[in-house]
Amino acid sequence: MRFEWDQLIRYGPDLLHAFGVTIVISAISLVIGIVLGMIACLGKLNGQGGAYRLSTAFIDFFRTIPEVVLIFWVYSCLPLLLSVRISSEACGVIALSLFSGAYLAEIFRAGVLAVPRGQVDAAHALAIQRLHIWRKIIIPPAIRRMMPAFVNFLTELLKATSLLSAIAVAEMAYVASILGAKTLSYFEFLSAIAVLYFVLIFPFSVWARRSEKKLLERTGH
Amino acid sequence: MNQIASRAWFSIVLLGVIGIVAYFLNWELLLSLDFSVVWEYRVVLLKGLMLTLALTACAAVLGLFAGTILAIASQSGFAPLRWIVTAFVEIWRNTPLLVQLIWIHFALPIVTGINTTALESGVIGITLQASAYFTEIVRAGIESVPKGQWEAAYSLALPARIRWTRIILPPALRTMIPPLVNLTISFFKGTAILSILHVSELMTVTNRISNVTFKPVELFSSIAVIYFVVGYLMSKGTLRVEYFLQKRER
Repeated sequence: MRFEWDQLIRYGPDLLHAFGVTIVISAISLVIGIVLGMIACLGKLNGQGGAYRLSTAFIDFFRTIPEVVLIFWVYSCLPLLLSVRISSEACGVIALSLFSGAYLAEIFRAGVLAVPRGQVDAAHALAIQRLHIWRKIIIPPAIRRMMPAFVNFLTELLKATSLLSAIAVAEMAYVASILGAKTLSYFEFLSAIAVLYFVLIFPFSVWARRSEKKLLERTGH
Repeated sequence: MNQIASRAWFSIVLLGVIGIVAYFLNWELLLSLDFSVVWEYRVVLLKGLMLTLALTACAAVLGLFAGTILAIASQSGFAPLRWIVTAFVEIWRNTPLLVQLIWIHFALPIVTGINTTALESGVIGITLQASAYFTEIVRAGIESVPKGQWEAAYSLALPARIRWTRIILPPALRTMIPPLVNLTISFFKGTAILSILHVSELMTVTNRISNVTFKPVELFSSIAVIYFVVGYLMSKGTLRVEYFLQKRER
């Protein structure tokens, strides 16, 4: 077997474009996921009442069902239920946003809960306003503590975008299988995207591991 | 006062959301939903679920076995062996399962000349990825065993086999139970990705039924619930096991 470099070079721009699509879809889903995650996190931090139950149900449900099932559900059921046309890219973004929202809510919550209770109590005792407590006392250390888990999740999200190939979103995995079928050079294209995914994801996971280690050393447990 | 206000706000927002959703919903379709199709195909669906669970068990058992061996290899004094283990783990952890599966199914046979069936490719892919993830967890577990235990084993000149099976692995395994179960649940979710190769697990079976009966809403909603219930029971079951083990320890 010969490795067909010329095929790769010929269709290189297509692959790079698909690489861009993967990044854009992850970025949009991440942003929407952060908003959903913050809402669900605040709801769950309530500890009781309707908002708590609703957020917990949202988090548990979307964390437990497989991403593929969620993607297929959004793709084949949502347009029927709402009787609107939704493009497959939009379906992908909706599904991945729901998935990120649920995971990020738990990550945010763990970060907020890791802030020492005494600091919040001290702020309350000094009669600092609620919004101010959140902005100045809870959020900065919470962000520092959740960064490793957040970046780790980002790697999961980047990997999950490959599942959108099942609903024909033109991201890397889909484009590579199409090109593979067209040119019969499966090996070249699939290996190329495996390398591209690795190059994209590996720096994040290394960074997450390093910063986690650093954090453990500093907080001392 | 604050609480009443926040509760009122929550109710208003919730009612607003429900109102908007209700306005846009296709009530005609919603009222014509017929979930009897799920009952009609119950045998096929159940078979699919069984295969899903079997694949999960396969990934967990083989993955843990291979992961333990790789983790022990990663502690070896021979540097190239450590590098190989690290490279293996990083490659499998930092690429998507879907890409690994299609690579194994479509690209690998071109090189090796051995064709694998969809099920074989699926099992190989998910097991290899599982073993990479399990290696990391077992390694963390091994490294959490206090140094004194290692030194005690060395100073008693215990042979390597006894050192591992009697001294290091038992306490390591106990600290590893929660992450191991989480990982098993995530591979339970991962088996749905095997539908890309048309392995007849729950997701593939549902897709097929949906293509025949044209009832995607009923089918996909039902299997989402099935996956949720099974996954939820698995994660709640773990908490029980953990609690039980902790109690026995005392």
